[in-house]
Amino acid sequence: MKERSKKMKRSSLNRVTPTPYLLLVPTLLLFAIFTYYPFFKTIFLSFSVTDKTGAFSKWVGLRNWVRVLGKESFWTTVGTTLKFAGLNLVFTFAIAMFFALLCMNKKRGSKIYEVLYAMPLAIASSPAAAIWLFLFRKESGLLNYFLGTAFAWTEDASVALIATSIVTIWMHIGASFIFLLVGFRNVSEELVESAIIDGAGPIRRIFSVLIPIASPQIFFVLFLNITNSFKAFAQIKLLTGGGPSNSTKTLIFSVYENAIINGRFETACVQALVLFAIIFLATRVQFFLEKRTVFYQ
Amino acid sequence: MTIQKQKKIFLSALSFTLKVALGLLFISPLIICVLFSFQPEELIGKTPPTFFTNRPTLDHYRWVFQNISVLSYMKNSLVVCFITITCQVFFASLAAYAFAFFEFPGKSLLFTLILASMMIPGDIVIITNYAQIQKWGMTDKYIGLVLPHLISGTAIFLMRQCYMTLPKDIKSAATIDGCGDIGFLFRIAMPLSIPSVASLSIYLFILIYNQYFWPLLVTNKDTMRTIQIGMAMLVSSERLEYGPLLAGAATCILPVVIIFIFGQDYIVKGMTAGSVKG
Repeated sequence: MKERSKKMKRSSLNRVTPTPYLLLVPTLLLFAIFTYYPFFKTIFLSFSVTDKTGAFSKWVGLRNWVRVLGKESFWTTVGTTLKFAGLNLVFTFAIAMFFALLCMNKKRGSKIYEVLYAMPLAIASSPAAAIWLFLFRKESGLLNYFLGTAFAWTEDASVALIATSIVTIWMHIGASFIFLLVGFRNVSEELVESAIIDGAGPIRRIFSVLIPIASPQIFFVLFLNITNSFKAFAQIKLLTGGGPSNSTKTLIFSVYENAIINGRFETACVQALVLFAIIFLATRVQFFLEKRTVFYQ
Repeated sequence: MTIQKQKKIFLSALSFTLKVALGLLFISPLIICVLFSFQPEELIGKTPPTFFTNRPTLDHYRWVFQNISVLSYMKNSLVVCFITITCQVFFASLAAYAFAFFEFPGKSLLFTLILASMMIPGDIVIITNYAQIQKWGMTDKYIGLVLPHLISGTAIFLMRQCYMTLPKDIKSAATIDGCGDIGFLFRIAMPLSIPSVASLSIYLFILIYNQYFWPLLVTNKDTMRTIQIGMAMLVSSERLEYGPLLAGAATCILPVVIIFIFGQDYIVKGMTAGSVKG
């Protein structure tokens, strides 16, 4: 009986029909038109001169690349992007970790504070920018009031990047918190209990039991925050517009500025590809580290 | 013993209170937004700030609804969400069904193609996609707003994960009973996947409703703007008054906060599916 059903299953799976291909047509078509084609077109256009609408007009080889990569302002932009990503990564991760450790044990009512810790993830960039612009005001701004400072947060080049970071961190903690919480709750209670019996204190338990077992989620969260920072556009556009004096101009903002405002489409393509290279490199590093250190149950 | 028990209850109540207080502090920007949106403008600009006014006003909300076409923006956002979510769920179900229930030549190659597409973030190709949509004359139309987002790797992974948990024997049994491949998908697999579809839909709703970059590029007409773009116009308008700004922000986040509170479990499932193994 078992033998027969196995045989039947195999025969039904092995029969070659056009059905699976037909099922995949819409998916593959959409990916081809809106992911693969524009990606290769971006590469192609980065070696060309385009008109303002982004249409090809002349092949120029490496000239765009030499021009863009040779500019000092471009490397400042790359530097700002990395600084912004670093700031976001450290603080988002630390705070999300703290929240996740607080919520680790399911208790009666724990849903209430879990919802609160995760909530800003549902808030879009434009209302978030509106609220924070209000908090960031120089005159009678609430942040200055509570901190006892007098910064013009979004208009002072020395703190503008920190201001955009604060908003980004606030919006992104929720997602990281959820992933870490899922990871920590995967740890079986017996494991934690046996660690307690073996005399491991709370700090020791975090570092020797929880973190190693939740390492896939931890790696994912680290990576997620890096890529989220690289893609952060709306809050920068709405809070500072890349200013003051370019102190918050990141790569993605520069791509937008070149393509839409300056009409330099080919420059935007080169910069988008540099951004892609950085994100790609970050994923490779993540996979490499994950393979070497992650402990899968 | 009873003293110990009392102590335990006291400690857990204390820890609960502290955790909720921390959560409220964390979302205090939202609370402040709501509180101040009901205050008259002259009170909003005062130091020290007043948090609870004894003469709340609806003026700012009235201003927002009279001067900005909030309802039209909201309608556009909902239409975009509806089309995108329906298509993603449908197309992802078809693809997931192919990967979970069929063996066919080229299967692993096609799966790799989908995996690899997830390595190309949408923001990298957004400019090129915009040029394309513009060339096709689809700006300021719903089709242009939704077209590049009708499928996603996340959706395929989530649906595939769901279909892989369905026992293969159901399919053999259904085939014996004369149910064809497509019949099985619509009559058996899809109905069984409704919890996953719910997770995916709620997750996508938050994602699409909150979209900013793409609708900014493809909408110029006021009648086609989504709520996020309308809100952003308010943020970057010349004479910035904080009352209407906060009232607008509160209006804009209300639907999504409600959905978030009631659908949190679904959102967690939608977020974590396919993104982390382990």
